[in-house]
Amino acid sequence: MRGLKLGLPVFLGYMPVGAAFGILATGLGFSTLQACACSATALAGAGQFIALPVIRAGESVLAVLAATTVVNLRYVLFGATISPYLRGLTLPRQALLAYFLTDETFAININDRRAGLSTGWSMFGVGVISWVGWVLGTLMGAAAASWIGDPSRWGVEFAMPAMFVALLIALAENRQHVIVASLAIAIALALPAASLVGVNIPSAWFIVMASVGAATIATLMFPERESA
Amino acid sequence: MSDRFIWSVVIGMALANFLVRFIPIAIVSRVELPGPIMRWLSFIPASVMGALVAAEVFRPGGSWIDPVHSPYGWAALLTGLVYWRSRSFLGATLAGMLGFVALRAWLG
Repeated sequence: MRGLKLGLPVFLGYMPVGAAFGILATGLGFSTLQACACSATALAGAGQFIALPVIRAGESVLAVLAATTVVNLRYVLFGATISPYLRGLTLPRQALLAYFLTDETFAININDRRAGLSTGWSMFGVGVISWVGWVLGTLMGAAAASWIGDPSRWGVEFAMPAMFVALLIALAENRQHVIVASLAIAIALALPAASLVGVNIPSAWFIVMASVGAATIATLMFPERESA
Repeated sequence: MSDRFIWSVVIGMALANFLVRFIPIAIVSRVELPGPIMRWLSFIPASVMGALVAAEVFRPGGSWIDPVHSPYGWAALLTGLVYWRSRSFLGATLAGMLGFVALRAWLG
């Protein structure tokens, strides 16, 4: 129950973004069933959105899979970060929690864990309600695509950034975290800026490179862990 | 676009997204990690969120915007302030979206 309550903002945040995916996917030729199946099984936010232009560019399954995997490489980091807390759970339960792992569920569970409250069940609750929001949103978007008009009228495109901002503040709980977040912001902006001087880095890698780079620099800078 | 192609994409994406999440959990939760790696992992949440915020606020849709004359930066600031004061994810997200719509109407 506590997990469902914790996940409520994710549910509400996912609905409009899921709806945006439903609208865009059906516009591209997905049936309502296909759009919902994609959201229900991939549960991948940015990973799903990135697939759409790649699909439009040509019918290559491999290119789509490469794009979604690269965009979601950060889940490798999330999985590794959260896995010490999942010791003692059986493999099927770990698989279930892995399936529900997203930026938002990860951040909420880690935040909850640091407060000493999170359990396997609360993580499961956060996952379930987020999943419902994402799939329900996709269904509504796909079904209503013809008459909903322009979804951006409702500020839909800011739902995800707003969630990221709140989660960033929640997770940057001590001085070291603030520094590492600032480093990540700087690197994430420097990478695309590098194209101005002729160095072209594929944009799909920006998030992963900035995250790994900032965490690595911080690890070298701070040999001791600071408590929250 | 063929039905078969779309279903292949749907199934392939399901597998790809599950494996990228599950493999690290299955491996790392079964071995004891050395201190520096644990420390590195403890920095990951803040660094990923920082990178995501930078991308979403300064380069929404993948191209640079002017942060002063665009609603993104100001709405992000508003969202951050609301979260800071209220500690409510829901309140901050809704305030951010409302603020974004209002700012967009105002800034054009």
